[in-house]
Amino acid sequence: MRVLLPVATGALRPRGGRMSLNIELIRGSARILGDEVSTDIHCSSKYLPGKDTAYIALHAFEQIAPGFANAFQTGDIIVAGANFGINSSREQAIHVMQKMGVAAIVAPSFGRQFFRNAINNGLPVIECDVDGIASGDAVSVDLTMGCVKVAARQIKRQTTPLPPAILSLLSAGGLIPYLQQYPKWQ
Amino acid sequence: MGYTIAEKILGQHANGQPAKAGDIVVAAVDFAMMHDARAGNALQMIEKLKTGNANIQLPYVKQTALVLDHYSPPPTIEAANTHVAMRAFADHHGAHLYDVGDGICHQVLPEGGHLTSGDLVVGTDTHSTTYGAFNAFGTGVEGTDVAAVMMTGRLWFRVPETIRIELNGPLQAGVWAKDVTLHMLGRLGAEGANYQALEYCGSGVSAMAIDDRMTLANHAAELGAKAALLESDDKTVAWLKAHGAATPRPVFADSDASYSQRIVIDSAALAPQVARQHRVDDVVSVTEVVGQKIQVALIGTCTNGRLDDIRQAAAILKGQRLARGVRMIVTPASRAIYLAAMKEGLFEILTAAGASVEAAGCGTCVNITGHYISGDDQVVISTANRNFKGRLGNPQSQIWLGSAATVAASALTGIITDARTVAGGNWRAAA
Ligand code: SF4
Repeated sequence: MRVLLPVATGALRPRGGRMSLNIELIRGSARILGDEVSTDIHCSSKYLPGKDTAYIALHAFEQIAPGFANAFQTGDIIVAGANFGINSSREQAIHVMQKMGVAAIVAPSFGRQFFRNAINNGLPVIECDVDGIASGDAVSVDLTMGCVKVAARQIKRQTTPLPPAILSLLSAGGLIPYLQQYPKWQ
Repeated sequence: MGYTIAEKILGQHANGQPAKAGDIVVAAVDFAMMHDARAGNALQMIEKLKTGNANIQLPYVKQTALVLDHYSPPPTIEAANTHVAMRAFADHHGAHLYDVGDGICHQVLPEGGHLTSGDLVVGTDTHSTTYGAFNAFGTGVEGTDVAAVMMTGRLWFRVPETIRIELNGPLQAGVWAKDVTLHMLGRLGAEGANYQALEYCGSGVSAMAIDDRMTLANHAAELGAKAALLESDDKTVAWLKAHGAATPRPVFADSDASYSQRIVIDSAALAPQVARQHRVDDVVSVTEVVGQKIQVALIGTCTNGRLDDIRQAAAILKGQRLARGVRMIVTPASRAIYLAAMKEGLFEILTAAGASVEAAGCGTCVNITGHYISGDDQVVISTANRNFKGRLGNPQSQIWLGSAATVAASALTGIITDARTVAGGNWRAAA
C-alpha cells in the first residue's frame, strides 16, 4: 500500500547522517519587511526575466526596502508582515534568499505556495506574531519548540511548532536531499 | 465528528483514514502535471535528485503529463528549446506528452482521462484547482514536488481548512459560473481563502453543466484556494466515463464536518459580474458599468475557453458584426474543443462576425506569445482569470473580466453590455 502518515508514526524523523541545518536553534539579526510582500515581484526571476539568482540576490526587495539586500548579512533573519510571499509561486525566490544568506523567516502568515517552496528547499519559516520586533534585534528561533524570542525586549512568543515531518525535511536541507537520503520517505 | 472532502481525500491517500485540517500527511499522488513555463525548473530538480544519488529511479513518471501550452507556439529560442527538452524527457521516460496546440494543461488532463473522482492530483500551476470540478483534490505545486512524485509517487501536504459555499438555486439564463466566482472574489477578496480549500455545493452547482463547474473550480485560484471541491454526481460520472477516466470514487463531506466558514449565495438572483481593471476583486454587477467603452474582446484561457463559452459567444454573434473598432480573439482551451466547435459551425459564425480564432493554448491569458498587446488606454474585456496591470503586455491598457456572454455582448456593442439584454444572450447550456 502506498501509504504513510509520518506524524503519527514519527517515520520522518531524521536518523543521523548529514544535517545541513541546525534546526534546534537559529539566532540572527532581524531584518524587517512589511505586509503582503509578493516575492515573485521582488525576489524571483518571474518579473525579471534573464536575470540570474546572483543578480537578483544583490537587488532583492530594493523597491520596497531600499538598501535591504546591501545591508543583509549571512545569518540574518527576515521578520516580515502578514502574508509574506503571497501570490508567489516560484522556487527561485527561495534560492535567491538562500544566496543572500537568510537563516529563517518569521511572519504572522505566509502565501501558501511560498511556504511550501521554503520547506521544500530547506529554508526555515515560522508563523508568529512579529509585533514589537525591530530592525537589528537579536532574534532566536527554536523550531522544535515553536518559540521566537528577542531577549533584549523580553519578547517570548510561543507558536505551534512545525511537525516532525517538516522538521525532518528542513534538517535534511530540503525535499531533494531528504529523498536522496530516504528514497521511500522514511 | 465529521470530515470535509479535502480531509477525506488527503487522509485516504495517506493512511486510509480521514485526516484533520492542520495535519501534515505524506499522501500517494494519483497524477502529476508540469507545463512548459515551469518545466525548466522541474527538470533541473530531477537532475539534482540524480546527481546526489545515482541510484535514483523515476518509477512513477508514467503517472505524469508534460504539457506544452504556455509558450504555444514558442515565441523565443529558449522556449522552443524547453519544448525540445520536454519532448525528449517524455519520450525517454514514458510520460504523457501534450504538444503545442493540444491545449491548456487543466483542460487536457481531464479530457485525457487522467483523473477521476476521489483522486489526488498535483500540477505546477495554481489553477490545478480545476480538477476539483470532478471531485478530485487538485492543487498547485512546484518543480521540486513533481520531481518527488516521479520518484516516490508521494508528496507531503498540509491538510487545509475548508470554506463551504452553497449556491442556492440555478443561475438565470445569461449568468454563468464566472459570475459566481467573480462575486466570491468581490466578497472574500483576492487571496481571501489563502491556505484553505473550498467546497461548492447546492442546487446551483447541480444545475450546472461540467464546463461551468470547471470554471467554478478553476477560478478558486484567485481566491488563493489550495483546492476547490465539487460533489460527484451523475453528470460527473457520465463525463468521466465518456473521457475514459478510471472508475470514479466519489467523496462526500459529512453533514457534521467542520468548516472555517459557511457562505450561502442566492445564486438564482445573481446578475452578471465584472472585475474592473487591475484587480480581480474590484467586482461590480455588470449593470453598474454598462456603457464603458471596450476595444478588445478575448474569449479563452483555462477559466472560460470551453465549448459552452464558445457556443454562448456564437449565439450572441450569429448573423451579427462586431462593433466598429473592436478586435475579438477566440482561443479554445483544447484541440478537442477546437474540433467540436469547428464541427458545430461555431467558427464560421464567429469569423463572419469579425472575430479571429487561434490555436488552442494559454494564448489570450497572458502576453507570453507576444501577440495580444493592446494600445495605450485601450480597454480589454476578457474571460481570463487575472487582470493585473500589464498582464497582456501593456501596463497603459486596462483588462476587465467577465463571462463569455458578457465579453461577446460587449464585443457586439462596443460597450460593456449586460448579455441578458441582447439577442442570444440568454442561451443556455444543455445541463
Ligand atoms: S490559461 Fe492562463 S491561467 Fe490558465 S494555465 Fe494558461 S497561463 Fe495559466
